[in-house]
Amino acid sequence: MSAVAGKRLGPLLLIAPAAILLTAFLVLPYLNIVLMSFRMPGQGTPYGPGLTLANYGKFFSDIFYIQQVVNTLWIGFVTTFACLVLGYPVAWQLARGTSSLRALGYGLVLSPLLVGIVIRSYGWTILLGNNGLINRTLMGWGLIDGPLPLMYNALGIIIALVHVFLPFMILPIMSAIQGIDPSLEAAARSLGASKLTAFRRITLPLSLPGIQAGCILVFVLSLSAYVTPSLIGGLRVKTMAVTVVDALIDTFQWPFGSAMALVLSVTGAIFVVLFGRLTVMKWKA
Amino acid sequence: MTEVSIEQLTKDYGQGPAVDGISVRIAEGEFISLLGPSGCGKTTTLKMIAGFEDATRGAIRFDGRDVVHVPVEKRDIGMVFQNYALFPHMTVERNLAFGLEMRKIPKTEIRDRIAKVLDMVQLTGYAERYPRQLSGGQQQRVALARALVIEPKILLLDEPLANLDAKLREEMRVFIRDLQRRVGITTVYVTHDQAEAMTMSDRVVVMFGGRIAQIGAPSDIYERPANLEVAEFVGQVNIVRGKVVNSIVSTPLGDVPVVGHYADGADITLALRPEAVELLPVTAGVAGVPAKVLSSYYSGSLVDYRLELANGTIVNVQTFPRTRFRDGETVLVHAPADRFWPLGSVA
Repeated sequence: MSAVAGKRLGPLLLIAPAAILLTAFLVLPYLNIVLMSFRMPGQGTPYGPGLTLANYGKFFSDIFYIQQVVNTLWIGFVTTFACLVLGYPVAWQLARGTSSLRALGYGLVLSPLLVGIVIRSYGWTILLGNNGLINRTLMGWGLIDGPLPLMYNALGIIIALVHVFLPFMILPIMSAIQGIDPSLEAAARSLGASKLTAFRRITLPLSLPGIQAGCILVFVLSLSAYVTPSLIGGLRVKTMAVTVVDALIDTFQWPFGSAMALVLSVTGAIFVVLFGRLTVMKWKA
Repeated sequence: MTEVSIEQLTKDYGQGPAVDGISVRIAEGEFISLLGPSGCGKTTTLKMIAGFEDATRGAIRFDGRDVVHVPVEKRDIGMVFQNYALFPHMTVERNLAFGLEMRKIPKTEIRDRIAKVLDMVQLTGYAERYPRQLSGGQQQRVALARALVIEPKILLLDEPLANLDAKLREEMRVFIRDLQRRVGITTVYVTHDQAEAMTMSDRVVVMFGGRIAQIGAPSDIYERPANLEVAEFVGQVNIVRGKVVNSIVSTPLGDVPVVGHYADGADITLALRPEAVELLPVTAGVAGVPAKVLSSYYSGSLVDYRLELANGTIVNVQTFPRTRFRDGETVLVHAPADRFWPLGSVA
C-alpha cells in the first residue's frame, strides 16, 4: 500500500467504528422495516412468504387509521404550540434575566429530565385521574359536581407531553437568545423603538433558529411518544406509536405494524421539512 | 442643532460613584471626546446621555430641557456602538429604514433619505446586502448612516473604531470627522485612544475615576496638561522634579524659570514631551547636557531614543531620523526652558 493511499484511508478508518455501528443497528433495521412493510401477513407466524402492497392498502382504506394519524398529528401540533407559548418566556428569563434565581430556574427546567419518563407519566395519572388529586380537590371544594375528564383523552396526553417535553423547547430557545448581542436591542431603542417593539422586531426574529429547533424537537418527540400516551390515553385514545406497538407486539402483525410505522415517520418528516421551508432564514449564511 | 449641558451628573451603582458629579457644556455642533482608561466612567456617562443608564443625581439638558426622565426611545439620539450592532436579519436598507419607520416617516421619504445617507457614507449600491456580507469598515459606515439618517439631536459614539485594523481606523477617523463637520451635529465620542480623541475632537474631556481631570482643546490637553495623570495618559512624557529657588527650578536638564506663584523651596513637577527635546552630536560645540544612548526605536518618520544622563536620570526623546545616533554613543541633550510645563506641587 502506498503512502498516499494510506493517507486517504486514515480518516475512513477513524469513522469506521461509528459507521459500522450505525449501519448494523440503525440503517439495516430500517431497511428491514421497509422490506417488512411489503411482506405478506402470516398465519401463526409474524409474516408470510412473498411481497404485497396490501399492508398500505389496509391502512389507507380504513378511516380508523387515518383518523389516528390525524389525532397523533393534532396532539403533536398542540403540544408543540403549548411548549412554545409556555417555554419562550422562561427561555427569555433564563437567557436575559438578572435575577440570582436564574441558576435555580435552570435547574428546575432540567429537573423533569432527571426523572424517568415512566415515573413522570404515572405521576400524571395520579394527578389527572377521575379519582386523582385535581378532581378530588375541586370536588372537595364544591367547585365541580363530577370529575372533569382529564385522563383517557387527548387533553390529558397533551398536558403530560407538554410537561415532559418543555425542556426541549426551552433549551434551544434559551441558547438562541443568549447568542443575540444585547446591544442590538439597545440599538433598536436608540432608534426610537419601545422595549416591546425592540423585542418584536429584533429579539424575536433573531431567536427564530432556537424556536425552529425547539419546535421540530418537540413535534418529533410528541409524534413518536409511546409511554406517556399509552399510560394516560389508556385504551380510549391511541396515538400512532401506541397502535404500532400494539400491532407488532400484541397482535404480532409485523408487516402491517411496519407499514404504519413508516407512514408515521414519513408524515412526520413531511411536516418537519414543510416547517423548515416556512421558517427559512435568508439572512443566515 | 442641539446644545447639551451636563450638570453634576452622578452614577452610583452602590459601591461608590462610577461617575462623580461631572459637569460639561457641549456647544451646538461641537465634537467632544470623553477620553480615559477603562473604568473611568466615560462609557457610563455616554449611557446616561443616551438614556440606557439612569442618573443617580444631576441633570442632562438638551437645549435646556432636562431629559433625565425621558426614555431612550424618546430622546432622539443617534448612537453608534462599538460592535456596530447592525441588525443581522435585515438588509442595509432595512437597517437604515428602522429608525425612520419608528418615526412614522412616509415610505417615499424613507426611500429618499436612505438614498441620500448611503451616498453620504459612500455605500450606494449596498442597500440589498446583509451585514455579514460587508467588511468591518463598511459595517461601520452603515452604523453611522443608521444613526444619522434619523437626523437626531445628538450623535453618540461608543469606541466605534476599536474593532478596526490600524489603517482603516485612521481612515475612519478622518471620515467620521469630515462627516460630522458636514452634518454639523453635536457629537459625543467615547474612546480610550488618545490619538483618536486628539485628531477628531474640538474639545477633549479627560476622565479618571469618575471625575473630569481636564477639559480643553487637544493642544491644551497635550501641551498644558492639568496634572501628572493627564500628562502621562495623553502621549509620552518625561517627568522632572525639582525645588523652586528664586522662581527657578534646577533640573538635571538645566535651569527652568517658572512663572506663577511658587514659594521658594516648593517642590515642583515638570512635564517635558519627548519631541520637545533636541539631540546634538557632542562635536556640535553648543550648550547641552551629555547623555548616553541606551536604545533607539526607529518607526519610519520618527526615532525614539532612550537616554541616560550622568546622574542616572532616564530621558525619552523623539526626533526626526535625519541624524541617527548609535546605541552607546554620547550625545548632547538640549531641552528648551519654555518647553517644560509645571504640573503643580509634588503630592
